[in-house]
Amino acid sequence: MAYSVLIVDDSPVMRSFIRRVLRLSGFEVGECTEAGNGIEALAQLSAHPVDIILTDINMPGMNGEELLRRLGADGTLKTTPAVVISTDATNERIVRMIELGAQGYMSKPFTPETLRDELERVLGDRDASRA
Amino acid sequence: MPPELDQLSALQKPSTMDQEPTAADTIRQVAAEVLEAMFFTEDELAACEHGWLGSARCARIRFEGSHFGEMLLGVSVEATDPIAASFLGLEPMELTDAERGQVIEELSNILCGAMLSKLWPESKLALSSPELTGWQEWREGGALHRCFVIPEGMLAISIRLIAPTPDPRAPGPG
Repeated sequence: MAYSVLIVDDSPVMRSFIRRVLRLSGFEVGECTEAGNGIEALAQLSAHPVDIILTDINMPGMNGEELLRRLGADGTLKTTPAVVISTDATNERIVRMIELGAQGYMSKPFTPETLRDELERVLGDRDASRA
Repeated sequence: MPPELDQLSALQKPSTMDQEPTAADTIRQVAAEVLEAMFFTEDELAACEHGWLGSARCARIRFEGSHFGEMLLGVSVEATDPIAASFLGLEPMELTDAERGQVIEELSNILCGAMLSKLWPESKLALSSPELTGWQEWREGGALHRCFVIPEGMLAISIRLIAPTPDPRAPGPG
């Protein structure tokens, strides 16, 4: 099964890198779309839901924390798993993002294999909860 | 010297088998991990011969919160294209100048975030957006600095703690 993915990051080169790593990882990616911040992400998701969201934290306009809050408050989107990808690997930040509703957390640097493993874990949890 | 600088200086003392890694160890370890995992290259610690830094591509990033400071990354001219191309999976000739700059900014962001998280995992820090700059803008005083050689060229990292700027809105004594 190929999964649709939304990459949310204000850095165009980071979005390109994540796309590349997804390809290298062997993770089965179907449609892969991009957004530059939380506002763009919510607009896209309202028209085109995806299987999983990969989001940065620090973004202008709407950051990753607010995006997670909005997703959690949306009756439809709250079931879409989100994985945070960030340079910040401090314990407080990780706990905070998980409390806000992130299902996974990847701190940079990461390899294609660790990204694939995390996405498969998160999607496996989602599928198990639906069964 | 502000207490925070004393703290970083103390972290620079050489480590032994039974001690925690020093800040210098952490810089070296993080640089190796980042370059291998996300830029698909390797590095080795190198002697600091800074002639190349005058023409290097540099990015500065500041951090604040439980610690205040800044980090400067320098990448030699000949290493910029291979690093950017490797990160993006492009041929060097396909790169735009904007992409070269953005990749150097992203590299500085990843290095700084990873170093701070390893140095102070219980900290609460906010990083500024990286900005491209020149090495000549950087004051070396009080900084922990390391140079690395990679197959494509050179890389330099300087990081220092600074005293926080007093908040003018804060109530004064008494």
